[in-house]
Amino acid sequence: MTNTLHRQGSLESLKGDYVIFATTAKGITHEGSGPKLQEFIRICFKYHPVNMGSGELGNVHQDDMDIDKLIATQKDGSRVEAVFTDLDALQKVIEELIRADLGLSINISGLLEEVQQCCRKAGLERHSVEHSLGFWGAKDRLPEREILEFNTMCGHGMVSFNFIRKMLEYVKLRRLTPKKAARIMAKCCECGAFNPVRAEMLLEKVRQGKK
Amino acid sequence: MEIDKKKCVGCGNCHAVCTMGVIYLDEDGKSVVNQDECVECFTCYRVCRNEGYNPWFVRALRRILSFFKLGYLAEVDVCPTGALNPPQLEWPRSIRAQFSDPTTTHPGTGIRGRGTEEIKTNDVTGRLRRGEIGLIVEIGRPGTGAFFRDIEKVAVALAKLKPHFESKNPVTQLMVNPETAKLREDILNEKVLSAIIEAKIELERIPEFLHALEQIQKEIDTVISVGMASKCLPDGTIPHEEWGRKAGYTLSPNGKTNIGLGRPLFKENEL
Repeated sequence: MTNTLHRQGSLESLKGDYVIFATTAKGITHEGSGPKLQEFIRICFKYHPVNMGSGELGNVHQDDMDIDKLIATQKDGSRVEAVFTDLDALQKVIEELIRADLGLSINISGLLEEVQQCCRKAGLERHSVEHSLGFWGAKDRLPEREILEFNTMCGHGMVSFNFIRKMLEYVKLRRLTPKKAARIMAKCCECGAFNPVRAEMLLEKVRQGKK
Repeated sequence: MEIDKKKCVGCGNCHAVCTMGVIYLDEDGKSVVNQDECVECFTCYRVCRNEGYNPWFVRALRRILSFFKLGYLAEVDVCPTGALNPPQLEWPRSIRAQFSDPTTTHPGTGIRGRGTEEIKTNDVTGRLRRGEIGLIVEIGRPGTGAFFRDIEKVAVALAKLKPHFESKNPVTQLMVNPETAKLREDILNEKVLSAIIEAKIELERIPEFLHALEQIQKEIDTVISVGMASKCLPDGTIPHEEWGRKAGYTLSPNGKTNIGLGRPLFKENEL
């Protein structure tokens, strides 16, 4: 989940894509963090995230995973995250996390201005920020923009270019609905950073032949 | 990853799922993995669930359908016969999984994924302090992968400018000497999905480092995702933003924000 940073897409599309995650620091907040991480999941779950998961255990779109199992299996130092599509829900999560005072490091990936406004409304000023400077190097090896929009929704790059192409093709041929194809792609992203709702919207555009 | 040819029915599902696109159909109609290019991310094994069919049954079914000019179309996220076989990895090949499989822990940092906390815990660690910039250079991402020989080229180029390579970072821990950034010889031909070089520099040196990256990017046959991070000023201003733009670079409208809820909060003034 290091690089939810490099998510690609139009501003309009990114407006529906916010990943919030809890992290612990070895030797500082790691020890005894299991119950706090469980509480983090409970708080996020109340506001209907479109995905949740943990690198250690998988995400809620996988066949053998659900929210209860995700909560029950948290242990010290796990990393958990949730994806939201609207700022109102994100704001409520932030406010509740402030009240809960879990002491975990909380990061949000998304449009920086929007996230800052959210923090300010909740009475917080942001602590640290990371920007992407884009892709460098052998860029001729990269596929077209629409493939990258899906691929970069998984911070670890688990949704392959070829699989995205296959899903696009299956949606165009109506072998899969955009919803089903988006859910299958979400399964690949172990940590749960993939946004299946945004993916579904992008796939719907493809189905309708829109660019 | 290995594929059990006795079980494989050549449905091709794992080919598309493979993050590196290195599974292909052999002349015998069964899938095989290009072991040089496989990064041991185990995505194929996790995503393609084992349907548990008898290979003989599936092959017979395919032949019958083929006779009637009909295709066999398995669901896209299954391995009909459970032919994918994750091997026990020995050093140095095991380093591929450490950097590519998000469920594997980096032994040196105890962290999964790419193995570094970077700014995610900056509120409690003080990893980046006022006037410092974190340069995050992820080689191989998106979706192309990288050999350590390429990762070393980039690290060596940056090392000439004498940054502080983050010690709690798995790539730094593979350096024989952080002053030269030369990596261990035995890993140079190992390939990973991506690896992050993490360097701490002074604010005013941003243009110099980005220029060095501009130069070295031409010498490697993979892509790099570049990021820049810093601790915000009390009013929320991002110190690196202006320097990045002055140096002629476009910063993304989106990014990662540490909202500062970690406790105990790191206080530089008390040091």
